[in-house]
Amino acid sequence: MKEEKYGSMSKKRAIGNAISYILLILISIIWLFPFFGLIMQSFRSYSSEYGGMVNYIIPKKFSLDNYRFLMSGETNYLLWYRNTVIIAVIVAILQTIIILCVSYALSRMRFKGRELLMRFWLILGMFPGFLTMICLYFLLKQFGLTQAGAVPGLILVYVASSGMGYYVCKGYFDTIPKALDEAARIDGATRARIFFEMIIPMSKPIIIYTALVAFMAPWCDYIFASYVAFGNDKSYNVAVAMTRWVWTNDYQGYFTRFCAGGILVAIPVTVLFMALQKYYVEGVTGGAVKG
Amino acid sequence: MAAKRKQKSQNIFEALGKDIAEIGTTFVQGDIKTKLSYIIFGIGPLLRGQIVKGLAYLAAELLFIWYMAGFGWKYLSKISTLGTVATQKVGRKTVYGDNSFMILLFGILTIIIIAAIILVWRMNIRENLTEEQLLKAGKTLPTNKRFLSSFLDENFDKTLLALPITGIFVFTVLPIIFMICVAFTNYDANHQSPTNLFTWVGLENFRSLFSFGSNGFAGTFLTVLSWTLIWAFFATFIDYFLGLAVAMLINKKGIKFKKLWRTILVLTIAVPQFVSLLYIMKMFANDGLVNAYLMKWGWITSPIPFWTDPTLAKITIVVVNIWIGIPYMMLIATGLLMNIPEDLYESARIDGANPFQMFWSITLPYMLFVTGPFLLTQFTGNLNNFNVIFLLTQGRPQSMKLTGNAGYTDLLVTWLYKMTVTDTNYKMAAVIGIMVFLVTAVVSLVVYNMLPSVRDEEGFQ
Amino acid sequence: MKKKVLSVLMAGVMTSALLIGCGSSAPAAAPAEEAAPAEEAVEEAAPAEEAAVEAPEINADATGEIKVWVADNVVDFTNKRVADFMEANPEFAGFTVTVEPVGEGDAASNMITDVEAGADIFTFAQDQIARLVSAGALEEVAPQNAAAIKAENDPGSVAAATVGDTLYAYPLTSDNGYFLYYDKSVVTDPSDLDAILADCEAAGKNFYMEINSGWYQTAFFFGTGCTLAYDTDNEGNFTAANVDYASDQGLVAMKEIIKLASSPAFQNGSAAGEATNLAAIVDGTWDSGTLQEVFGDNYACAKLPSFVGSDGKTYQLSGFGGFKLLGVKPQTDEDKLNACDALAAFLAGEETQSLRYEAVGWGPSNLNAQQSDAVKSDVALSALAEQLAFTIPQGQYPGDYWSLATGLGDDVIQGNLTVDSSDDDIMKALQTFQDTCISYAK
Repeated sequence: MKEEKYGSMSKKRAIGNAISYILLILISIIWLFPFFGLIMQSFRSYSSEYGGMVNYIIPKKFSLDNYRFLMSGETNYLLWYRNTVIIAVIVAILQTIIILCVSYALSRMRFKGRELLMRFWLILGMFPGFLTMICLYFLLKQFGLTQAGAVPGLILVYVASSGMGYYVCKGYFDTIPKALDEAARIDGATRARIFFEMIIPMSKPIIIYTALVAFMAPWCDYIFASYVAFGNDKSYNVAVAMTRWVWTNDYQGYFTRFCAGGILVAIPVTVLFMALQKYYVEGVTGGAVKG
Repeated sequence: MAAKRKQKSQNIFEALGKDIAEIGTTFVQGDIKTKLSYIIFGIGPLLRGQIVKGLAYLAAELLFIWYMAGFGWKYLSKISTLGTVATQKVGRKTVYGDNSFMILLFGILTIIIIAAIILVWRMNIRENLTEEQLLKAGKTLPTNKRFLSSFLDENFDKTLLALPITGIFVFTVLPIIFMICVAFTNYDANHQSPTNLFTWVGLENFRSLFSFGSNGFAGTFLTVLSWTLIWAFFATFIDYFLGLAVAMLINKKGIKFKKLWRTILVLTIAVPQFVSLLYIMKMFANDGLVNAYLMKWGWITSPIPFWTDPTLAKITIVVVNIWIGIPYMMLIATGLLMNIPEDLYESARIDGANPFQMFWSITLPYMLFVTGPFLLTQFTGNLNNFNVIFLLTQGRPQSMKLTGNAGYTDLLVTWLYKMTVTDTNYKMAAVIGIMVFLVTAVVSLVVYNMLPSVRDEEGFQ
Repeated sequence: MKKKVLSVLMAGVMTSALLIGCGSSAPAAAPAEEAAPAEEAVEEAAPAEEAAVEAPEINADATGEIKVWVADNVVDFTNKRVADFMEANPEFAGFTVTVEPVGEGDAASNMITDVEAGADIFTFAQDQIARLVSAGALEEVAPQNAAAIKAENDPGSVAAATVGDTLYAYPLTSDNGYFLYYDKSVVTDPSDLDAILADCEAAGKNFYMEINSGWYQTAFFFGTGCTLAYDTDNEGNFTAANVDYASDQGLVAMKEIIKLASSPAFQNGSAAGEATNLAAIVDGTWDSGTLQEVFGDNYACAKLPSFVGSDGKTYQLSGFGGFKLLGVKPQTDEDKLNACDALAAFLAGEETQSLRYEAVGWGPSNLNAQQSDAVKSDVALSALAEQLAFTIPQGQYPGDYWSLATGLGDDVIQGNLTVDSSDDDIMKALQTFQDTCISYAK
């Protein structure tokens, strides 16, 4: 009797699992389909078929024409790619440093106006970023950081406002027991020493998370970056240049090239993300709970 | 609450009064060094051997004078009119007149710098007072070295925050103040610096935002605003619940390859959105892949207007957003679900609860409680979710019923963007920007007051 | 408590003040420049005839940078022509010219956003000219060039480059009009819209026309005899609107648009490179290369078809004949302006137009260049020429018109107006359209 019940339970579970697997496979297909299409599209050649969207998914003839086009120097793709990498790397480094500084100050130090400062930043964050685009453009222009100087200009803007993104990192610091600090202070360590020699070595996950998020953002900036480059195509990033291929009539039939370029952009970002996924999960989960 | 606030404002006035009184008494009772410091910043500390502090104050004053004389005054003096000298032609050459944009921008900067220098002046007085009091009490003043090294210790916060705060001030605060001011000017395509001047117009732009009629924005604004709110609601909650469901599905006992499923889903976070969403945009176009296959298979005879029918476009956007949003929620939920004590489920099972009941009475309340702040940030994030809308539809389809280049799927932010870039209608863009702020602020305030788990959070978020 | 915060903030303020102070060389220099012109103004130049010939007016020592914005596919060509120009005009050797790929649409909006940072010479589609003039982004065509330009280019293109009574730009092409491209194997009778649609439907292929564009829409309205035109003053402001869309003729046109949109073969669009399953498209010469590849041996062009309106009469589709223009932005330096004028005249001259046609197939606006055999035997250009007899040269339209027209077209596509809509409903929409058009002119 008991055994039978057990058997029906496991049978039930087996059916349940089977349904779950079917669901998961379905979900996976839906999730992967656009990427599959993107990859297929990128192997379709303009010369043998067509450069735009077509009504079939598997190319009639596979070719590397689009990739060859990107590498050939007919466009500045490689330069755009380099710009993007430079921006992303520098922003990732500087932004992480700034966020660590701000988070430490807000988490560990109790100074007058701390709450007010946090509240003020919170309110600032409620203004839409695009609002100030024109103003930022002219500010950067004053420093000569538009057009040919757009790359450093963009880095400056990304980094300058990054202090406001301290939530997740501060949340992490808050979980490090304060007793550690106090013990060190009794031993005569300065605040700076505690920060550099104690807190930072303990914060590897959050440092990686912060850097990863900072690194990924510039890859997708096709709005402000376009504004700052202001027509100087040598300082475009990949997103600016490639969205142009889709939206501007001057570049008809570039869609397969867009797909190829998109894949080249996606590969490093995705690989990096997958490699550091663990830290990312830790960061977003902590951030979600902390808010 | 109201009483508390009243008390607070009273305190501010009281403090201000005390402050002014202190400035007076310090001057009257102070020695000559202190008195001199009222005009020459930092002279008191300098004479008392506080070289570093004194020099810093002095430098601030000198810098301020240099700035005002060489730069600031030129702009500040014109801020009430935003310039009067028009651009003219000398022969065939163009001689630009006043640049209203720069006058406004640097005028604001100068006002802020003046406020700052007043504060420095006040701090300089307080410094003198403190030093005098210390000396009177027979104590020695801290050495310069001690003062400097304090920036690595008890004043380390100032060292850490100086640069970030400067950055935020120049590249966030100043531009925001500037754009708020623009909302009260007539800065648009016909009043474009440097060729043309623009000037203050008071509440004109707000009036046109709230006026119905052929040139009024009110009808369009309401349409866009309501879609913005509806969108944010659906985008947030559908993704939340579906993400939770998928997470539970993957975490279910007996499911293998958990990591594989997760990795597949997470791809949408990793791949830059402009790549994936632009492809999806093309995929669902009237002449795109999806319609082509459906027609080839004979399921439909004419293309489904995924992007060109307003209602369908909205639905498609929400559905595509699920594709983006689920993985994110799934990651978060995965971590949190494991935190729920297993014995809660165990005892529920003993009580004979079915899986659905367990979800309803254990999982969901726990998740909602823990992720309350997350939902709030998601919601406000979705209010301003530019990428999904702009990459998929650019706000289209438009209609004659909507003015100002707006479309049925436009959010306030995408509309704002179009006004800035396509129409160069900066004045209305600034007004819309202020509206976005108000909406976000109101939503945040309301939700914040409803959430128990946020309110107790130290330091708010 | 507050004071301490402010002290922190203050530190920020002071640092930023420092920053701005250091960076102030740029803004501080601007007024200095403003003052300087006074002395330069003395050598007031009014070069007559060919700038290049009038040696005394040209300061051969002048140096500077000239930035040119053209569409990506003519960057190489333009670079070559700039080199030719430099060779032919050594007096401008002090200037370096850079050519950047900024398409017509981006160029216009960038020029309006920040004229100082914009290009010195740029191409744009004529619908932007009034905006550019009122934003102060266009300099008048140099007097020594104006007469020649008016004489050498076709009258439509000259009208397009004129705002009020001033010539503001150099006509570049005359091919910004549209006509029909079709697949011979699918479309049997390209002269009748219904027949074309029937053929496309039968073959399960698509007919493309961008009916939500103010540019393509006029094919119907002008075809049935409606008018839509604006008067402008010299500053690029719109003073009056002449529009009669809300009429019986407008109704016929609107109903035809609705009928077209209801066909299962219909697709909204005009980008040949992005079209799928294509059998016919209303498009311009700039896509002729793409379409030759798409259609292969079945490539064919014709003037736009005619249609039988709801009132039983037959109407020939009309439309805009449009033009690409080359503009020079206002300059604060007279020597540079001279150089820009000369270069612009060169880039828009007969020789360059002919060569440009050979290089990228843009149909010239220069009357002599139009007479060349190659141009005359071009299939696409002859279809365009045939269509031109029915089109109306495009004048100046306010920017709002284009978005309003998109609204009207989208209303049809999304089914706010359908074949089942009553005449009253359609008339109401047209009335709104007309009233809104009128409201743009002040």
